[in-house]
Amino acid sequence: MAAADSPSAALRRDLCSRGIRLAGKMRADVVDLLDAYVEQQGLDASASVAAVEGVPLAAVERWDEQTGTQRLLENLAAYRAFRALLAQMLEEQREQLGEADAGLGRALAAVLLQVSAFAYHLEELLRLESRGIPGEEEEDGPPPPPRLSLFEQKLRGLGVLRELAQWAVRSVRDLRQLAKPSPATGAAPSLAESP
Amino acid sequence: MWKNSNLRCLLALAILCLRSLTYSQEIASLGDPQNLKCVTRNLHKMLCTWDISSRGRHGQTDFCYTTNDLTTQVCSKTKERRVELPVPERSITVTIKSSGTAFATKEFVIHQKDISFVPDPPHILSLMPDFPTSTLNLKWIDNGSVFPYGLDALWQIQILRKEAMEVVTQVTYYSKLTHENIILSWNWTSDMPLECTSHYVKIRCYINATQFVGPKEWSDWSPAGMIPGKDAEPGGSGVFPLDPVVAVGSDLTFCCVHEEDQRITNMTYGSKSYTMMRLSSRSHAIKVLNASVSNSSGTNVVCRLENGLEGSVVFVGYAPDSPQNLSCETLNFLMIKCTWKPGRPSGLYGERRTKYSLFERTSGKNVSCEVSEMNKDHVCGFPVLPDQKIYDFILGVSNPLGQAQSSLLVDITQRVRPKTPEKLTVTGNNSTSIQLRWFINGSFAEIRLLCQIEITSSHYERKLHNVSMPGRKSSTYSAQLSALHPDTKYQFRVRCSAADHFWRWSDWSRGVEQTTSEAPPARGPDIWRERSPSGESIIVFWKPLSLSETNGKIVSHEVSCHLLETVLEHKIVFEPSSSTEIKLGKSDCVISVVARNHAGSSPPSRITSVELPSDNVTTDQAMAMGNGINISWDSYPNMTCGYIVKWCHSSGSEPCSVDWQKFPSNTTNVVIKSALFKPGVRYNFSLYGCKSMGYQLLKNITGYMKELPPKTAPNFIVEETSSDSILVKWEDIPIDECRGFLKGYLLSFAKGEKDALKPRLSESGNPELKVNNITDLTKKSMKILDLQGKTSYQLELQAYTAGGLSPPNSLYVVTKEDSVGLIIAILIPVAVVVLLGVLASIFCYRKREWIKETFYPEIPNPENSKALQFQRNICEGNKTLKTLEMNPCTPNSVEVVETQPSAPKIEDTEMMSPAEETTVPEDGSDSEMENHVVVSYCPPIIEEEISNPPTDEPGESSQVVYIDIQSMYQPQIKPEEEPEIDIVTTAGYKPQMQLSIRALKIEGHSPVEEDLDKTAGYRPQTNTNAWNMGTPDSPGSVESNNENVSFGSPCSINSRQFLLPPKDDEDSPKPINTGWSFTHFFQNKPND
Repeated sequence: MAAADSPSAALRRDLCSRGIRLAGKMRADVVDLLDAYVEQQGLDASASVAAVEGVPLAAVERWDEQTGTQRLLENLAAYRAFRALLAQMLEEQREQLGEADAGLGRALAAVLLQVSAFAYHLEELLRLESRGIPGEEEEDGPPPPPRLSLFEQKLRGLGVLRELAQWAVRSVRDLRQLAKPSPATGAAPSLAESP
Repeated sequence: MWKNSNLRCLLALAILCLRSLTYSQEIASLGDPQNLKCVTRNLHKMLCTWDISSRGRHGQTDFCYTTNDLTTQVCSKTKERRVELPVPERSITVTIKSSGTAFATKEFVIHQKDISFVPDPPHILSLMPDFPTSTLNLKWIDNGSVFPYGLDALWQIQILRKEAMEVVTQVTYYSKLTHENIILSWNWTSDMPLECTSHYVKIRCYINATQFVGPKEWSDWSPAGMIPGKDAEPGGSGVFPLDPVVAVGSDLTFCCVHEEDQRITNMTYGSKSYTMMRLSSRSHAIKVLNASVSNSSGTNVVCRLENGLEGSVVFVGYAPDSPQNLSCETLNFLMIKCTWKPGRPSGLYGERRTKYSLFERTSGKNVSCEVSEMNKDHVCGFPVLPDQKIYDFILGVSNPLGQAQSSLLVDITQRVRPKTPEKLTVTGNNSTSIQLRWFINGSFAEIRLLCQIEITSSHYERKLHNVSMPGRKSSTYSAQLSALHPDTKYQFRVRCSAADHFWRWSDWSRGVEQTTSEAPPARGPDIWRERSPSGESIIVFWKPLSLSETNGKIVSHEVSCHLLETVLEHKIVFEPSSSTEIKLGKSDCVISVVARNHAGSSPPSRITSVELPSDNVTTDQAMAMGNGINISWDSYPNMTCGYIVKWCHSSGSEPCSVDWQKFPSNTTNVVIKSALFKPGVRYNFSLYGCKSMGYQLLKNITGYMKELPPKTAPNFIVEETSSDSILVKWEDIPIDECRGFLKGYLLSFAKGEKDALKPRLSESGNPELKVNNITDLTKKSMKILDLQGKTSYQLELQAYTAGGLSPPNSLYVVTKEDSVGLIIAILIPVAVVVLLGVLASIFCYRKREWIKETFYPEIPNPENSKALQFQRNICEGNKTLKTLEMNPCTPNSVEVVETQPSAPKIEDTEMMSPAEETTVPEDGSDSEMENHVVVSYCPPIIEEEISNPPTDEPGESSQVVYIDIQSMYQPQIKPEEEPEIDIVTTAGYKPQMQLSIRALKIEGHSPVEEDLDKTAGYRPQTNTNAWNMGTPDSPGSVESNNENVSFGSPCSINSRQFLLPPKDDEDSPKPINTGWSFTHFFQNKPND
């Protein structure tokens, strides 16, 4: 119990609860954006979209067995990918639509901001556990993918937003899991269990 | 010699051979060379081929030819059956000798006309696709170097599609050969994207060699060039064309290329599914006609596969419109701002949007314009170039679907609209002038500026003050404003333009407020004085100065009274008083009034208190002008310093406030106007003349601003009446109620009874109405003559002014009776009667013998018998049935039997019933009812006669005769009725009306009579219920079996007849028509 009352544990709980609120808000906004996106792009809401390259899938096997650090690292990787993809979507949106339908652009920018904020929040959590924060793969990453056709861009945008909505749900669950006190010590689960 | 002989032998042999060859050609025998054909491809060489029989097919052939140009024969040996020869100008002789056969030699003569010209097939140099535009480019060499210069060449190009190489189109291309090898190029745009399926191209040519006389033919087709579709490409897939931009109204073909093992579910354009066309096993297409404008993100073309999705986005829009209303101006001589209207939106956005560029031709400078697609007005800036005034602009517009442009030549110095002035401030301020300063950002050194200053205040009209000044570079400008009013709050704002070449004003600057300082009042107040009624003091009045004269807030007035140099009185009267009283006693002085504000005092206004005596002051009437009062007077030469018209306003209970107006000496007619004047109110004016010594009252004037009708009617009374006249007197109307100058009275009269609902006389339209107009206002009475005696008259009196008539006052008067006429009316009839009596007496006296003979003969005439007279009356069915005279009648009963002619008369009697009227019995059982009237007589016990107008015939009266006929007629009486009969018998006959009369006279009803009634037994007629006959449930209905009962009819129990005639219709009883009813009883009562 003493550990549970330590400042770092309290800070972790606070960060987790704020992260849960952020993810919940993000989820709601992404769902709204998804509706607007489907309508504005003239897509079929029920269209099946192949997995978006570069986005880790929210669905994962043996989720229960993951350590806290694993969860945070996967979340961070996913949201970093989403940040890049949403920025690309925003740029493409400006290119293709110009000043037309500025509302969709604003909504996209708002979600991008939330994703960035959430990624930063995850970094804070990792930093709290004195874990190294993996560097971003911008400079030495793979070369940019070949330019997609406009229809492929639309489908990719749909896939990104759907996956982001899934990830927002998963992040809430992951953060709830992290916020739980560890049954062994009565304190928060150790994030240092990562393999 | 040998040699010569040998040569001769050889020559002979050759000739022999040629002869045999010629022979063989002519004979064309089997095994000889035959079917020689020659074809040229370049007009220089020709290729000749022939057929040989099977025997010599494998041997060598000697081939010789000669032409007209050749002196010797050219021979060669060949194993093939073809040889290339030059194309002869006219003809060529060919000898072909097959080896191994001594006689297989044949000679041919080939003319040019026998040679075919078939060019070589063209060689396709390149076939290049341009997929985004679905265009292919074909290049080939015309091979013109081998042909003479200037030949026409036709090229037939065939486009084929799909695996089956279906011909899509075939076109002919024309060119001219230049004796050089030229590369020709041809483009073709496909209606189907080139990716959809493989396309093939073939080409052939025809060279029109006019000099060549032989047959000319098309070349063979070149080998097909191929552009493979995506369906021929391993792994190729997708929807094509990819992300095209097309114009609205286009017809579009989209295809979906997929893997061999996939199957297409459907293809949609937008939300609509289209029927697919199969292009190949891997490619299907849809055709969209007349595409409409797409939304901002384009229209999706989606190909749904069994396990996937392919798509493309098509943008459908318009080519740009020409820019409209292009206009350029400069705000600051640093930038030129050009604006225009874009026209119809293109419907294309983002990277496909319409782009604008501004190109200036003189300088060659081009500027790309960043415009907002959402704005209606587009704006583009172009920098002002040094030392350049004239700008020749071309505004270029383009988008993926087209381009347009608009141009404008402009002198920029004439298109100046300065920027909005800023930092407007007020510097320097006194009571009548201020200085304004403002700043304009821009370089206006080359022009003059015209600035406009707007001056507004709540009390004065808006004024615009223009000021021109040389322009400067980003500088402050100033202007001085004068002639302002002291103590006034002003609002200022500024705008500027170019002074020399006005183009447009700048926007107004932000406004500033400034109040000018106060100045002393501009003049002294307008004053008047009046001596108090006691004469001991003088009341001094002054009018407030106008706003433009006060120059500040007036705080007080200084009133002083001077006699020569001596100040008799000095008073300071603070606002808001506008009068003061100075006690002078009977003396006079010069009164001086000065208005003061914070800045100082006004010049004094002076007036003398001296009032000169006046003689014969008259009172005149002024004329109402509607909006004022017109006052005029005769000129008074003595009045050297003008006239004063003074009046007094009174409102309610407050003392009247004095007002006045001054006029110069030459004035004799003025219209006094005041906002306080009210219509219908009398105002009293006093006209004073001004002399050097003082003021003199000249006359009094009364007037109305507008005359109205009198408010009330004049009161009047009838002073005296006679049989033919009425004397009327009236009173004056109070002045307050006159509401105008009284012009007279209208007295109207006509015959008429007093009736509250009667309209006014003037409105009644009564033709006998007489109206007297009394214009003499001193007259207060009037006698109306020539009236009728004992007649009611209605009188109305109205007063009137120039404004109209007052409401009327009415009276009703009855004239007295004319006694002389009455006497005459009585005396004349009496005299006439007396005269007639005298004349009758004289006549009777003279004719007395004849009268006696006629009326009282000594021998009575049976025709004059009363009894017979009675009988005749009955038989004639006289409506008035007389009571049988008692005295001359001695018999108990008389039976009169009338003969047939009398019968119809009986039907007219009251005995007649409807039944009898409609059905006449043939057996004559009731005949005695019709033609046999029994009249019995006995001295009656009671006889009553009721005057009863029975029906609608008022002149007809009937008498009911009650006769006791018991002795002669015994009715069939039912046993149960016997007791009643007994009573009746004992009581004798009781008339049926007796009880009803008693019921009406119930107060006088005696108990004895009541007892009699009880014992009388019969009284159906007295039962009031029974009077209501004819109702089915009434008692009368029950007894209707009795044939003698006619319900409601008064009858005797001993009578066999109804005393009243029966009703005509049982279903619709009308008691009134039955001859006697309860209601008639009442109706007749007053007549009794």
